[in-house]
Amino acid sequence: MGLIYTKTVTIIELAVSAVLLAIGFIGFSATRQAAKAPDASKPQKKKHRLYMILTVISAWFLIGTVISSVSQSSGGLNVEFQMFSERITLFGVSFAKTTVMMWVIIAIVLLLGLIFRFILFPRFDKDNPKGFQNVIEISVEAMENFTKSVLGDYTEQIAPYMYSLAVFMIFSAISELFGMRPPTSDLLVTLAMGLITFALINFYGIRKKGFGGRVKSLAKPTPVIFPMKILSDIAVPISLACRLFGNMIGGMIVMDLLKSVLNGYATGIPAVAGLYFNVFHPLIQTYIFIVLSLTFINEAIE
Amino acid sequence: MTAIGAGLAMLAALGAGLGMGIATGKAAEAVARQPEASGKINAILLLGCALAESTAIYAFVVALILAAK
Repeated sequence: MGLIYTKTVTIIELAVSAVLLAIGFIGFSATRQAAKAPDASKPQKKKHRLYMILTVISAWFLIGTVISSVSQSSGGLNVEFQMFSERITLFGVSFAKTTVMMWVIIAIVLLLGLIFRFILFPRFDKDNPKGFQNVIEISVEAMENFTKSVLGDYTEQIAPYMYSLAVFMIFSAISELFGMRPPTSDLLVTLAMGLITFALINFYGIRKKGFGGRVKSLAKPTPVIFPMKILSDIAVPISLACRLFGNMIGGMIVMDLLKSVLNGYATGIPAVAGLYFNVFHPLIQTYIFIVLSLTFINEAIE
Repeated sequence: MTAIGAGLAMLAALGAGLGMGIATGKAAEAVARQPEASGKINAILLLGCALAESTAIYAFVVALILAAK
């Protein structure tokens, strides 16, 4: 009884959306000529647009109905969330999937870097740059200027690292668009990045002031504050890691929730939401990670 | 019970929201007073918002640790 009822509803949905799609498409093609003409009046353009909206919505509904009638999942809010990613066995050793994904991204970036260095860069014209060369030059220059504005010293050493960090984080954000779990949504990966920043802070702090000067700078206003300064220094990589991890996994969970709520109808709408949660948000987080790293390094060397 | 605890942990988002709201309001005031300094104000605002946001993020991570089995 229930099965027949659902089947009837599905068939009615299919028929209605197909008819609406046909009406929308025919109206869209019919009004196209009039709306595209230079002397088109406002109601004509409006009609054209209305038909376009009808076509898009009914096409979305049709696709959603087909997918949800084919797929077996029941829908609803059943998100299976895992704090750490699933594991995969390679060569008899168990790895987290995010780690493997990170290696893939590193391999891609390395390959691109080698291609750029040995094939593209020798062909670049030094005097009149054009096209892709401009993009590379502008981005490298922007990163150098930005680092210089925060840091002052050691710009030519730290700016390349920050640039590669940005490239890695942008690539990992893109990997989420292909349905993989991004490496930056793994606490261990972000903690590793935070520890690199921690190492840089102490390395450049000691290099600038010497070991004694670095220890002395931790006890700057009064020696009483020394243990607290040590604690807040140790908190830096943890806070960087937790911030990045929380943001990335928050976006991932929101996207998973959206997909599971929409179930079969999850075409189009998650793409729009993903523009914010998977593209804009990681970019902001990349910026913040780099700014905070630079600020902490600057604090250590000034 | 852990679900209730996870929910309670997210109360920290209250402070983060207040802080970010105050910071953004001040930034809007500053830009209204000195529109030519909007670039610098923007950078400072982003940094401040990130730092204020981090308390909420820590609460979120704690809630996730509590909720995820």
